[in-house]
Amino acid sequence: MSLPPKDHLSSTTSDSTKQSSTPSFLGSFLQTIKDIFSDKGVLLLLLIAPIIYGFFYPWPYSTEVVNHVPVGIIDNDNSNLTRTIVRYASASPQLDTQLFLNEQQAKEAMWSDEIAGYMVIPSGLEQQVLSGKAANVSVLGNGGYFLLNKNVQMGFLKAVSTVSAGIEVKKNVAQGAYSATAAANTQAVPLVIIPLYNQTEGYGAYVVPAVSILILQQTLLIATAMLIGTWYEQRRHATSIRGWLGRIAALSMFSFIIGCFYYGWTFELHHYPRGQNMLGSLLFLLLFCPTVATLGCVLGLWFRQRERSMQILIFSSLPMFFVSGYPWPADQLPTVLQIIRWFVPTTPGINTSVQLNQMGASISQVSTGFYALAALWVFYFALLMWVRWHDANKALKTVS
Amino acid sequence: MKLSKAFLRSAAYERRFLTKNPWDFSMVVWIPLATVLLIWWIFSQTQITDLPIGVIDQDNSTIANTAVRYLEASPTLTVKQLYYSEAEAKAAILQRDIYAIVIIPEDFSRHILSGKPAPLILQVNAQYGTHSGIIQTSVQAVAGTLSAGVEIQRLVKQGMAPSQAAIAYSPIGIQRISLFNAATDYQQFLASTVIPALLHILAMVIGATTIGRELRDKRLGHWYRFISTGHPDLTRTTQNESTSGQILNAVENNQYLSKNDQISVSSHANEDMMERANVLVLLFGLLGKYFWPTLAFSIWAILALWLATPQESVAMSSVLATYAGLILLIMLSFWLGAIFTLGSFSLRMGLSATGFISAPSYAFAGVTFPYIAISDSARHWSDALPLTHYLKLHIAQLQMQAPVAVSLPIVYGLAIATTIAMTLTTLLTKRALAHPERWGAR
Repeated sequence: MSLPPKDHLSSTTSDSTKQSSTPSFLGSFLQTIKDIFSDKGVLLLLLIAPIIYGFFYPWPYSTEVVNHVPVGIIDNDNSNLTRTIVRYASASPQLDTQLFLNEQQAKEAMWSDEIAGYMVIPSGLEQQVLSGKAANVSVLGNGGYFLLNKNVQMGFLKAVSTVSAGIEVKKNVAQGAYSATAAANTQAVPLVIIPLYNQTEGYGAYVVPAVSILILQQTLLIATAMLIGTWYEQRRHATSIRGWLGRIAALSMFSFIIGCFYYGWTFELHHYPRGQNMLGSLLFLLLFCPTVATLGCVLGLWFRQRERSMQILIFSSLPMFFVSGYPWPADQLPTVLQIIRWFVPTTPGINTSVQLNQMGASISQVSTGFYALAALWVFYFALLMWVRWHDANKALKTVS
Repeated sequence: MKLSKAFLRSAAYERRFLTKNPWDFSMVVWIPLATVLLIWWIFSQTQITDLPIGVIDQDNSTIANTAVRYLEASPTLTVKQLYYSEAEAKAAILQRDIYAIVIIPEDFSRHILSGKPAPLILQVNAQYGTHSGIIQTSVQAVAGTLSAGVEIQRLVKQGMAPSQAAIAYSPIGIQRISLFNAATDYQQFLASTVIPALLHILAMVIGATTIGRELRDKRLGHWYRFISTGHPDLTRTTQNESTSGQILNAVENNQYLSKNDQISVSSHANEDMMERANVLVLLFGLLGKYFWPTLAFSIWAILALWLATPQESVAMSSVLATYAGLILLIMLSFWLGAIFTLGSFSLRMGLSATGFISAPSYAFAGVTFPYIAISDSARHWSDALPLTHYLKLHIAQLQMQAPVAVSLPIVYGLAIATTIAMTLTTLLTKRALAHPERWGAR
């Protein structure tokens, strides 16, 4: 019987770790780093995957703002007025217009994703406007795609209101008003919108800083649970309290560095708002990473198998993101979920990071997030200690 | 005959495994079910309402009060507090107590009375994109209503009839219509598209695991021998499992890690069988191995589409085409997961690749961030993802009520991709059988 070559994992099994009853913090810290570097799988997840994701995830959003949305126009009137409307619409940077003969054609184009919406100008529009009757155009956007729909509606709205205001101004001038005052009068209460923080209102600048924290959490969670699961298989998982702290410190250190890489480089590279409160952001990472790593240790002991953490955790990213309160207001969630969501580090994590790094809140303004993370860390660590005690008890029973 | 036996034996082999391993069983049955229901539940309040904003009223006039009342009346907004200084309001934004401040300047009513434009100022936290978008539209609507009121009143004062004043104020009105999903229902928009994305991820994970664990545990030869010859019989497997259970007595019975045990099994199987592995037997064996996940996910797909189909009339043919698309997406995911695993000879690498491709695929699919705006280079990646195509089909058929013919090319495309992936999986399994020395990689 020929033995296949043993892989590095089984050969590194060291009885010394298991037997030495109280490994020091530093010893365990260094041993963990050594194990991380000798385990391709863990290294890939802990260090390489989050770096790749730093480039990969913002990739689709590099245009940031949606412009030149293809839209259709059906001009049933074909008058001077409606040609003006068509001209204004095609001049809009938000829209790329094309003409259709009838609604059916436009609808077919919409089904095959050639256009995202269309405007219907009814016949007799000019006549109605000239004779002072109520006149309407219809703008039909695709409600299946929210962001596109908004752009279609806004683009047409601006074009038509400009033409409409022009008519009103002309009428007022005809009635004897000065043209300057008449132009100003068209909107009595204009709205001045000042976007704060994400001033260009870019999509990537909105989503990526939040998702980065999710990526940081998921890669650290999976890597930690994978390492602990591997140790469990090799019966090397048991250690002292100090030993666990050393492990947590070592694992967190890697993610802390990745976090700095995100804050200092990835966001910079994509020109996202960043670094408003750098000290606060670093303090956040100092709390967030160990919290996640501790949860990873608990999960690793629960899963007890090297690959299990990937199987279970890969799909959990999307639901965790949705309950974090960032893309979807948390108070719209069912009440039970509003409570459960606090057991996940990204729940306080994403908001706290964005508030500190993108918005520039002070630490006292995000104190709730800090307290929540600290409480989670204590909770996870207590859980870890309970599992450890439970394990030791079981081992004792089997011996006696 | 031999082929149907291979299918049945493989399905029986897998059934035994799944019933003995609660984690793997959950991956197939409970976790996808819970996921579908969870996502639906997350978005059960289908519209965003009562986003908290603050108001700084520096004018304190009747018309300013009207403005505040209009803001309060908007269903999507709630005026949480009146602030007296900008610093105070800014602090509230930083603490996320409110997401915007509407400032009514001190000369607001004076300007209106003297016929000058009187702007409202909206400072909105644009970092929170969803919140910000909804607040902007709602406050815009309030400003529009105020404007119209002021303008029409002014024209009426000049002696115009109220009905005529409304027309004179806005000679060309705009009817804004959202075709499909007119109520901006987020359950339709997000939940119904996120669920297929999650089933896709889970299916890829299962695809990787189902074949990957045989590689990891060095039992691939054992499996092939069993499906092609019926030996070793299932009772022997039980003994093997129970011995491994005794060796690692502290480990739960879902562990397969007794190295000695596996080596003995694989070394028997290695020599004679592997080079001559029959491709058709393998194919039917694989179909049997993936039979239970396919069955389970067929049911979850029905559930997902039942939730996603709006009450208004969606043609049966559209539902069927979407269902066919979803089943093909899921089967394709199984095979893709298997291909990554067999290609790298490692369950872990297979799962890594699966995660890398499937987990962010929703971001590339063009639902939340439109496909046309995706940067050119990233669009190639988006085009290569099966999820992008499925979601296009999903939205066209279930939400846009497009004729089935529009989406059939996507169904055909997914069917062809699935067939190719299945063939590739079979060939890669054959290759893996021929290289027992590479089994067991972690």
